[in-house]
Amino acid sequence: MQQVHAAAGASRRRLLTGTAGLVAAPFVIRSARAAEAVSIGVVMPLSGANAQFGINARNGVQFVADQINAAGGIKALGGAKIELVVADATSSPTNAASVAQRLITQNRVLAMIGAFASSLTIAISEITERRNLPLLTMSFSDEITGRGFKNIFQVVAKASVLGKAQLDLTMQLAQAAGQKLERIAIMYEDTAYGTSQSGGLRAAAKAAGVEVVMDEAYPLGITDVTPLINKLRGANAQAVFPVSYLNDSLQIIRAMRAQQIDIPTIGGAAGYVIPDFARGLGPAAEGVLSISPANYDLAPELTEPFRQRFGYFMVHEALENGVCLSVVAEALEKTGKADREALRDALRGHRFETGLAKAMTGGAVQFDATGLNTLSEPVMVQWRGDQLVTVAPGHLARAQAVWKR
Amino acid sequence: MLSLAQAVLDGVMIGGVYAVISMGLTLVFGVMGIVNFAQAQFLMLGMFVAWFAWRFLGIDPLLGSFLAFGAIFALGWALQATLFRRVLAAPPVAQIFLTVGLIIVLENSALLLFGSEFRSVATPYQTASLRLGELFVNVPYLAAFLLSVVCGGLLWWFLDRSWFGRAMRATAQDPMAARLMGIDAARMHRLAFGLGVGLSAFGGAAILPYLTVYPTVGSQFSVLMFTVVVLGGLGSIAGAVVGGVAVGVIQSVSTLVFPIQLQNLVLFLLFIAVLALRPEGLMGGSR
Repeated sequence: MQQVHAAAGASRRRLLTGTAGLVAAPFVIRSARAAEAVSIGVVMPLSGANAQFGINARNGVQFVADQINAAGGIKALGGAKIELVVADATSSPTNAASVAQRLITQNRVLAMIGAFASSLTIAISEITERRNLPLLTMSFSDEITGRGFKNIFQVVAKASVLGKAQLDLTMQLAQAAGQKLERIAIMYEDTAYGTSQSGGLRAAAKAAGVEVVMDEAYPLGITDVTPLINKLRGANAQAVFPVSYLNDSLQIIRAMRAQQIDIPTIGGAAGYVIPDFARGLGPAAEGVLSISPANYDLAPELTEPFRQRFGYFMVHEALENGVCLSVVAEALEKTGKADREALRDALRGHRFETGLAKAMTGGAVQFDATGLNTLSEPVMVQWRGDQLVTVAPGHLARAQAVWKR
Repeated sequence: MLSLAQAVLDGVMIGGVYAVISMGLTLVFGVMGIVNFAQAQFLMLGMFVAWFAWRFLGIDPLLGSFLAFGAIFALGWALQATLFRRVLAAPPVAQIFLTVGLIIVLENSALLLFGSEFRSVATPYQTASLRLGELFVNVPYLAAFLLSVVCGGLLWWFLDRSWFGRAMRATAQDPMAARLMGIDAARMHRLAFGLGVGLSAFGGAAILPYLTVYPTVGSQFSVLMFTVVVLGGLGSIAGAVVGGVAVGVIQSVSTLVFPIQLQNLVLFLLFIAVLALRPEGLMGGSR
């Protein structure tokens, strides 16, 4: 608890005192501890455009770390506690890389978890790969596990798979409601995540013989989405698939409703699956669908304590980043030594099914040779009041989807 | 044709907002000769004032914009009295350091005080619109535009008709002569700086109903503000209006032909063309 807070405070203090605070704080902690704790780096965008997600992600990791420590730490390492070293990646890849570098050289972390946004994760992975340090991530981009890196582990399905599921599950929902989808619109943020997920969507649409009547990229941090929605209105689509973070997702739904466009909206996770979405939109959020790599309602017994502690439901980025740490802990129990290469080898191939890993779709986590979790399967969720309910695929659904034509 | 009319309408509405947030920048330059690079950060502060007024006092951001104006006017007044006063006669480099330094201070203070999350207001009219035949008028945009018009009108009246406004313009034209006529130039500078940053704060609050606020939101607007001001003619209030509407319409209409990603590319190509043909800006020299 205490060291977690000190480390989190360090990233904040850095704003005032430059790097000195960050470097010094974990150092002080280490000398104060007798037993050798296991340091895990947590690099998240805690400021800038993706900060909200970074904070959620950090909360998820912290949640799991506290649980492990409260239960007696890593038993195979003599009860060693997990010590999180939290650092702010900001929302720029260059900063993310230099922060990661510093965590390795100065904080001597054993593994790293980060960094929500794919573009940041890719930047960090260049560093961790060179240093042979395991990096666990819930970023979606295909590029993450598509480069043949040996030290990267992606606990969620890839963006292209998410994009495909986004379309395929939507087709199923429409069909169940007696509608055949023929014309869809895609709009996405031109970041690594938006581009690769929309790529999956596009390919799936082509395979399914669905015409993409609008296919538009827009810049991150857009301040006026009206042109986008004007195009959507002209496109005469039956459903729209926006892939965006929070700032743009709120603007898009508001502008759509203002133009009285209420065709089914199927978001691409990120901004569409966090409490702030419903909080900002109120009734306008009701019934909005989204793809998600995981959802808290699939394992309420594991995610409810998070809500009780932090006051909001366990958003998927909190859950999956928590899973990253849970998996590291289980791998450490297996190897019995705090060695980064042994840890990497233990991560690969083993089926992780303790702790939060059970909350993932598939009920476990297993990485293949590229580091991809092969058990993860995307789900479709829908807003009901201030809750996200899993509505597809059928074997995971917790409620029937509402499909308005 | 219909989509062109819609695009022009949308462009004018957003352009009105661009005009108001940029007027402050041009006013500060016109009166004091300082290019305030931190101008957009005052817009961010204005958004935060309005957000807090909405969250804790239940004040609609459109009304909160007046509160934002007042609060940031006071801050601007104080900053002029303490910091900017010292660089008025200093070399431009010192002025640049002060204003760029202020960006870092303001953004990071906001980060420390308010945290980095996106904050959004939920207003009853956030998804409302009016129909003009086949055209849609988005109510939050319209409200921001109308507020901008009111604000611009008040500023015009103030500068053109009131004693303070005339005194301020006199100070801008010739501080020494103004001083000889009994005008307190230092006070005019405080007034001008307060007004300048207050206007951007006002504009920021007016657009809060359809946007979100976070500590770095200003950076999304700073380049736009400079484009507006330079396009219209640095130091010219009328230029800010023309520039604002021009930028809004160019951004909006360009999306009819080009992908939205290229929105700003089109804007800057036109911008460069204007600078090449008319370096003083569209309305430059007519001040």
